[in-house]
Amino acid sequence: MRRPDPATVRWAILAALLILWEVVPMTGALPELFLPSLSKTLTVLWIDLDIYFAALLVTLYEVAFSMLIACGLGILVGALVGGLAVLRNLLLPIFSSLYAVPIVILYPIFTAWFGIGSSSKIAFAGIYGFFPVMLSTAAGIRTIDPQFILAARSMGATLPQQITRVIIPASLPTVFAGLRLGGALTIIGVVVSEMLTSSAGIGYLVTLNRTILDSARVFAAILAILVLSIAYYMMARTLERRMVVWQTAGRQQKSSSRDSTVAIAAPSAA
Amino acid sequence: MQHLANLSELRGKVDEAAIEVAGLSHVYAGPDGGVPALVDISMSVGKGRFVVIVGPSGCGKTSLLMMLAGLRQQTEGRILCHGRPIPEPDPERVGVIFQEASLFPWLSTLDNIEFPMSLRGTPREERRRRSQAMLSLVSLEGFGERYPHELSGGMKQRVSIARGLVQDPPVLLMDEPFAALDEQTRMTMGHELLRIWSTTRKTVVFITHSLTEAVYLADEVLVMSARPGRIIDHIEVTLPRPRTYEMMATDVFGRLRDRIWQQIRKTG
Repeated sequence: MRRPDPATVRWAILAALLILWEVVPMTGALPELFLPSLSKTLTVLWIDLDIYFAALLVTLYEVAFSMLIACGLGILVGALVGGLAVLRNLLLPIFSSLYAVPIVILYPIFTAWFGIGSSSKIAFAGIYGFFPVMLSTAAGIRTIDPQFILAARSMGATLPQQITRVIIPASLPTVFAGLRLGGALTIIGVVVSEMLTSSAGIGYLVTLNRTILDSARVFAAILAILVLSIAYYMMARTLERRMVVWQTAGRQQKSSSRDSTVAIAAPSAA
Repeated sequence: MQHLANLSELRGKVDEAAIEVAGLSHVYAGPDGGVPALVDISMSVGKGRFVVIVGPSGCGKTSLLMMLAGLRQQTEGRILCHGRPIPEPDPERVGVIFQEASLFPWLSTLDNIEFPMSLRGTPREERRRRSQAMLSLVSLEGFGERYPHELSGGMKQRVSIARGLVQDPPVLLMDEPFAALDEQTRMTMGHELLRIWSTTRKTVVFITHSLTEAVYLADEVLVMSARPGRIIDHIEVTLPRPRTYEMMATDVFGRLRDRIWQQIRKTG
């Protein structure tokens, strides 16, 4: 028997989960307060569509700006820390240990400084996402094969050319991995900070409806966040695949011997 | 066509040295003073010659090659490449081929070959024309759009050779280019290199630790001692060209290989 395609299995699992979500509350095995059915969740989402949409816009706005901070600052600082030995020795241990601190404990300070509006979320989530971006950018630059630089120099590359033509493309795969993680963390940062202290956004809707025990609306908000995160993840993956073709292709080649290399198809040339 | 033109030009002055090294020494800065790496190296490589440097690992042969390429500066002594010192890499004079093919994985085969020209802003058509010519020189027609991860080890080294030759430098420096290949591919590549060399008539300085490869490829073999590296023997390889696989079984081949081995063993 042929093994089923992993993608098909994944979709089947997702479909099964959705069906369970619909069926289990109907059987009465779980009270509706704990798990309102999928159809009920979707119904309230449809009824309050304008509210959820407005909240999602606020969240998106905060996510966009905090990603800008996380990615922009993360790449800039990461490049400096990764590229300059002085900064690396000075700062990398500090940044690495800061990364281990649960930054959410600082959120009350952020609200004190920036208020409970969007700016505190942007600042908090920006810093939350900054660390993985910065650390992987630094790692990406630090772990470039020195042979690449040597080869480029032997071909007469100037220092600016070495940076733009070798160091940047060579570090892209690691930087992208950091961006994917950092971006996901900014979404978490924004939603968590909205849940803690705020007056708008999708995280606020979760907290608000939870306090009034309106489970269906809590789940509707959770669903919106899920969709947002998945959409982000898929966008990041697509962008990553486009930008670093060689990396994804190389990985596929290693993991499956079925799609063999051209080399085997053309032994005469080797 | 371009290469044929160069060929006649080179033949006219074949006696001149392509590379001249005089009194070269190198000391690495260490925690307790300096570590001598190379001592009093003097050598002369005639234009169009194929010179192989062999020596035990760590004897400084790669360092020497880096200095010939202008990638590293010696502590003492003088290097002249086509009559001029080489304080920094000059791809118009010297092409370098490394042990790991060091192709850029984010560039296609053609883009890799064109890389040195693109650094200099050579027009696109000109670049394509020359990289295509190089691709057929190394027998890789039809692989121009492939990426390095789609090529075998031998093919990568072919691309690397094409990249080293694309700016048509008179000198080609090769740092153990086939060391990472399996023996069969290595044999084929050695043979291929001789074919390419015979059509382009470059001056080649080739580093290896394989005695067989040294004798098979070289006009002259320079034997280096263990660290600190010095040149302890200079052997003319009198085997006729083109070299064939059968020559490896001859007495002459065996004697030459033995002589290199005796020299290296003495210093070890």
